[in-house]
Amino acid sequence: MQLKKQKGISRLLATATCTLLGTVSQQVSAEDWEVDSAILFYSEPDRVTAIEPVITLKKKFSEESTLNLGLTLDSLTGASANGATASNQTQTFTRPSGKGSFTTKAGETPLDDTFKDTRVAVSANWEKQFNRLTSYNIGAAFSKEFDYTSISVNGLISRDFNQRNTTLQAGLSFASDQIDPEGGAPIAFASMAAPGQPQPKQSGTKDKDTIDLLLGITQVLGHDTIGQLNYTLSDSSGYQTDPYKLLSVVDSVSGSTLDYVYENRPEDRLKHSIYANIKHHLSNNDIVQASYRFYTDDWGIDSHTIDAKYRFDLGNERYLQPHLRFYDQSAADFYRHSLVNTNPLPQDATADYRLGDFTAITAGLKYGFKLKNAGEVSLRGEYYLQSGDSNPGDAIGIQKDQDLYPDVDAYLFQINYSFKW
Amino acid sequence: MYFFRTLTLLFLTCCFAAPAIAEDKLGLSQYKGEVVYVDFWASWCTPCKQSFPWMDQMHKKYHTLGLNIIAVNLDEDPALADQFLSKHPISFKTIKDPEGVLAEKYQVQGMPTALLFNKDGKLIDQHIGFNPKKSNQYEAILRKALAAHDDIKLSQHSGKKQL
Amino acid sequence: MRRLFLLTCILFLSACSVGVKPWERAVLAQPAMALDAEKMDLKMDDHIYFSKEASSGGRGFAGGGCGCN
Repeated sequence: MQLKKQKGISRLLATATCTLLGTVSQQVSAEDWEVDSAILFYSEPDRVTAIEPVITLKKKFSEESTLNLGLTLDSLTGASANGATASNQTQTFTRPSGKGSFTTKAGETPLDDTFKDTRVAVSANWEKQFNRLTSYNIGAAFSKEFDYTSISVNGLISRDFNQRNTTLQAGLSFASDQIDPEGGAPIAFASMAAPGQPQPKQSGTKDKDTIDLLLGITQVLGHDTIGQLNYTLSDSSGYQTDPYKLLSVVDSVSGSTLDYVYENRPEDRLKHSIYANIKHHLSNNDIVQASYRFYTDDWGIDSHTIDAKYRFDLGNERYLQPHLRFYDQSAADFYRHSLVNTNPLPQDATADYRLGDFTAITAGLKYGFKLKNAGEVSLRGEYYLQSGDSNPGDAIGIQKDQDLYPDVDAYLFQINYSFKW
Repeated sequence: MYFFRTLTLLFLTCCFAAPAIAEDKLGLSQYKGEVVYVDFWASWCTPCKQSFPWMDQMHKKYHTLGLNIIAVNLDEDPALADQFLSKHPISFKTIKDPEGVLAEKYQVQGMPTALLFNKDGKLIDQHIGFNPKKSNQYEAILRKALAAHDDIKLSQHSGKKQL
Repeated sequence: MRRLFLLTCILFLSACSVGVKPWERAVLAQPAMALDAEKMDLKMDDHIYFSKEASSGGRGFAGGGCGCN
């Protein structure tokens, strides 16, 4: 009796299975590739112009794992400041190759237009769910341009707490760079030689290795708000000097340029940064985002970055987003706009404006919309202006009439297209 | 004094009545003798969307064998639930809990959450999340719950004279 | 120093009564609310600022979203 009844239910269950066996679907349709493509047009008036197409691909290989691939092409042309300051006379500089030269008119900031450079960068990352609350991400990246090669590996672990309201992450990456400067790496503080003459350069390639550490916490702060706090540490050692940059050596009385010497930077650099970000969704469907980053390194550079975005929801999946960024940086300890001939040579010195004292403002606007069943498009335009002290107090003689820290500005235009393939 | 006693009684009643009211919303008592699969979902939850076709399949397969599926919607805006259901029609029962009373009562830890009650109304299995690749595992647990109890009931009857 | 670090950790984790219930993540689940919502722009910007300024780094993208599964 007992067995008969039990068999009854089991048989019914078995029958049910057979009937529907043919209609069992896997629920997992072939996963699409999520493609995110963009092209950037970048232009610094009278200086550098760049075109940069980028494509990233993302695909879920299972419920627990995702593959991310990236490809970047960077094509750069134009002129870049070589570190020498403007003078009241015409200046002639030897090109890094040691062959050929270029001249700069009086009163103009010397710009070296030697480079037409193309860079290719590829990256691959594998994201895997370890258990319900923990995931890890491992990846590698490779980048190559004519005088610079970089290879790196990275790992990141992420863990959710508190019903997924809190996420902690820790990441580590190692990068190994090889620099093969055109014409060879110059000897520190050697005087620039005329073209055709023996150049004060070393043969062989240079190396630089970097370790990066990231510790971060993401916290849901409310129904409509999310916050993030990250600490990053970066330690790099090796060749940090820019092989194409030099400093003007000026006369201690007249301020006229007497010589040009190649720059030199320390072999080590330790950086720290703290980044805080908050994103808030408003009742009218707009989103506001603001972030602050404090950066400091052992080269004496401190910086503050404030970034804010406001996304206006225009309905129909369209949006308009103005963007404002404010940046302030203090100079590296060894930054000098120029050297004075009577002073002893320092151990390290650079006139690279990127390591100087300046503030920068970015103002931008972005417009985005969705194509019916064909992805999303966005257009972004930004203007960047960097300005430092054009007339520092220690300017000597004729230097007082020159702009020792010209403003640098840039226009940026980007088109983005994301879709599923 | 009398006033405070009434107030305290009223307060305690509310505390115990509230869950009872919620109990009524899910109405587990009406399913005594049958297996109940309760699923907490929301329109914005992607794995929830993936679980719907599977639940529909389970309902069609096992409803006549004693399986009841109740999908509890937790959308704060119930209109979104309606929108979702119009795009994903299902054959099983859905109830709305926009205030999250049931979710709170059953201590939902993640979305989606599935609770399995056996024929005695006892919670015998629960899982957070939905993985389509684990559909067979989930189904096996359902089948076990559906097949169970008949032998226990029968063993109580064995040895007794059949009337 | 170690005690201070431990205290900070405890404070941080105890502050974690802050948050929402798992079913209250409708807004956070919106794609625009994801921390990596504009990953491409951020990647481009990071690259530009790295070549124009002395500072670098800061960002990471985990957390937030619908919190599903």
